[in-house]
Amino acid sequence: MFNRTKRFGAVSLVFAMLALSGAAAAYAQSGSTKDRWLHVRVINSDNKGETVRVNIPLELAENVLPTINKDHLHNGKITIDQAHLNEVDVHALLNAIRTAKDGEYVTVQGTDQDVRVAKEGGRLLVRVKDNKGSKSNKSDVDIKIPMHVIDALFSAGKDELDVVAGLHALALMGDTELVSVKSEDSTVRVWMDSKNVSD
Amino acid sequence: MLLAKIALGLASTVAFAAVYTFREGVIRVDVDEFRTGGSHVHVWVPATIVPIALHFTPKCHMQHAAENIKPWIPTIRQLAKELEKYPEANLVEVIDRDDHVQIRTHGGKLQIDVHEPGESVHVAFPIATLEEISGQLTENIPGA
Repeated sequence: MFNRTKRFGAVSLVFAMLALSGAAAAYAQSGSTKDRWLHVRVINSDNKGETVRVNIPLELAENVLPTINKDHLHNGKITIDQAHLNEVDVHALLNAIRTAKDGEYVTVQGTDQDVRVAKEGGRLLVRVKDNKGSKSNKSDVDIKIPMHVIDALFSAGKDELDVVAGLHALALMGDTELVSVKSEDSTVRVWMDSKNVSD
Repeated sequence: MLLAKIALGLASTVAFAAVYTFREGVIRVDVDEFRTGGSHVHVWVPATIVPIALHFTPKCHMQHAAENIKPWIPTIRQLAKELEKYPEANLVEVIDRDDHVQIRTHGGKLQIDVHEPGESVHVAFPIATLEEISGQLTENIPGA
C-alpha cells in the first residue's frame, strides 16, 4: 500500500513537472517583447557603397514612442490627414479584407508594373514589380504585413494609426520579414527577429 | 609606525575617493582632426561629477536649458531607462566608402562614433548619467 502511494506520488510529480515544462516551453515559444528586434537594412551598391543598419528593440520603441509629441505623432499614435485618404473608409476596407477568405484581391499586369495584392495565411501581401525603365530603375517591392498588426494599427480610431499597438502586435509574432525592396543598385529589408544584430 | 599608519590612512582615502568618483564610469569625448594644425580634444570626466556640477550651475541657466529641452525630457528619460536594458547593442550604423557612423550601447554606455576623412569624433557616456541629467532638468522646469 505504501509503495502504491509512493508510486502515485512520483507519477504525479513527473506529470506536474511535464506540465510545468510544457507551459514554460509554450511561454518561451511565444517570446516576450523584450527580445524582439526590428531591423532595417539598406544597401546601396552605387559608387559610394552606402550601407545603413538599424536595430531597434521593439520594447524600447513601444515604451519611447508614447513620450514623443511632435507634429502628427502623439502618444504613440499618428494622426492621418483625411485629405490623403481621398474619402476612402479604411476601416470598412480592412473589415472587408479581414472577413474575406485568403486569395488574390488585386492583380494588375501592366506594361509599366505588375501589382499583386493578396491575403495569405493571415497576412496582407503587396507585391509591385517594375517592368519598364532602365535596369537600374527597376525594382521589386514585397510587403508582408500580418493582419492582426494591421488591425492593431487601425484600432485607435478613424483618423489615427496606433503605432504602439501595431508594434505590440508585431512583437508577439515569430521571426518575420516585413518589407523587401530589390533593385539593381539598392536593397532594402525590414524584418523582425530575436537577434540584436542585423547580419 | 605612526607614519605608516598615516600613509595607509591617506592611501585608503585616495583609493576610496577614486572608487567613489569613478563608480558610475567616465564620460569620454575625443575629437581628432587629422590635418596640419588640426585640433585634438580628449576629455575624460567621471560621470559622478556631472550631477554635482549641474547642482552648482546657476539656476537661471538650468531653467533656460530645461525650458528649451522640455518637450523632449520625458523621451530622454524613457530612452535612458530602456537603453539600460540593452547594455550591448548596435543600434544604428552607416557605412560608406569614406564615412562610418555608429551609435551603440557598450558596457552600459551610449557610444557615438563618427569617422570621416580627416576627422573622427567619439563620444561615450554612461546611460545612467543621461537619466540623471534629464531628472535634474525636470526639477528645473519653471513652474514644475
